[in-house]
Amino acid sequence: MSQPGSNPNSAPTTTTPAKSPASSKRGLAVPDLITIGVFSALYFAMVAVATLASTLLLAGFGSIFLPAIAALISGCVFMLMVARVGKFGGITIMGMVIGLFLFVSGHFVLSFIASIVFPLAADLIARAGKYRNRIGLLISYVVFSYGLTGPILPLWFMKDAYVASLEARGKDTAYIAGVFAHINTGTFFISMAAIAVCALVGGWFGQRLCAKHFAKAGIA
Amino acid sequence: MTVSPPAASHYLRLDPRAKLYLLLLANLVMFFHVSTRAEAVLVALVIVPLLTAGRVRMGVRLAVTYAVLLAIGLWAGAAVMDGVGTAGGEQTWVHVVGALCVGLRMMLPCFITGAYAFSTTSVSEFVCALRRMRVPESVVIPCMVVIRFFPTIIGDYRRIRDAMALRGLATGRWSLLRHPAQSLEFVLVPLLMNATMVSRDLSVAALTKGLGTRGVHTSMTEIRMRWFDWVAMVVCTIPLALGIGGVL
Repeated sequence: MSQPGSNPNSAPTTTTPAKSPASSKRGLAVPDLITIGVFSALYFAMVAVATLASTLLLAGFGSIFLPAIAALISGCVFMLMVARVGKFGGITIMGMVIGLFLFVSGHFVLSFIASIVFPLAADLIARAGKYRNRIGLLISYVVFSYGLTGPILPLWFMKDAYVASLEARGKDTAYIAGVFAHINTGTFFISMAAIAVCALVGGWFGQRLCAKHFAKAGIA
Repeated sequence: MTVSPPAASHYLRLDPRAKLYLLLLANLVMFFHVSTRAEAVLVALVIVPLLTAGRVRMGVRLAVTYAVLLAIGLWAGAAVMDGVGTAGGEQTWVHVVGALCVGLRMMLPCFITGAYAFSTTSVSEFVCALRRMRVPESVVIPCMVVIRFFPTIIGDYRRIRDAMALRGLATGRWSLLRHPAQSLEFVLVPLLMNATMVSRDLSVAALTKGLGTRGVHTSMTEIRMRWFDWVAMVVCTIPLALGIGGVL
């Protein structure tokens, strides 16, 4: 149960040859898991800052652009985490831990699915670039950022069911229109595009910051 | 998740798994948009374990908040229904207040159960529960570290802001927002620098304590489901089931 290499995610790494001295042939060891935990905590703090910022800046739009703002500011956290761990499974576990804490802090359970699927895809993309390729890492970060859409996606998919339930309970149409004034298909695409753009900018900024501060210090 | 003082163990506390189940129930209540009556009953039921756990002040505060939001929401709904023929200016105002209260109120069941789970579960209980639920160790360890690391982040942030103020950087109230990219760099880089140090120290400490050893780990805290855990789970399910079934 507590064997460091016993998780299914780490199985593929045993077959791929380790390129850098940082990554051993075995899967994720305890130090890697602790590093992942520390950076997950920082990422979660960034999400909290993004929540605060999006609520203050864009009152009505708050939650819709939350993933985009989070993507904009937490690129550096992601890049440094990947540089420190550099093994398959790291990004996936970070996504899962974030999903778990989002659930405990009162977000919907379905958001958990998004926070497993997208980080897993991001992990596979980063692995294709051996966790070193800058462009690969940037794409990986963009995909990872979609993992945060879980809490807001139900707003669109469940909209019809929600409107029906509101009407059944005798809410007037003005109320319903007010609730959904900001939520339609156009907003959906704007929000998704905003995540991609913000993740690209945030990831690029993060890579530049990493190169400037941490590569020189020998940390990254 | 705070470490409760030993005296708190005299109070009746639910098993962490029962708390997770209550959290799931609160989630489902929000998701299915069950009727206000079922929601109010569930909130009343969820407040009870908060009181029995000795968090009386917190329980009363949350209950009062819910009651106020419920009252304003109902009043706004009634005002809108009554005042169909009155002037439009007042109506939009009532609409805004009513919608805000209803929205906040729908979040509250999740918030209350979350506050309950966070304030009454110690880290070791939480970890024990995760292990008993067969969550892989590769997820349990990062979770543990996240909980352990939150206070460190807050303390670090304060010290970074102090150091910045000493150098005359971003001293004003909104000054961090004036140069967002620069403030992000100035705050984040020391935080990350420290994070890498802490993760190294924690690794050494954890390995010394035998976190990396194979086999089943023993635990000081023991958790087990007792009769009141099952009772709480069943009783809290009833309003949700009735609400979805359309009875309440």
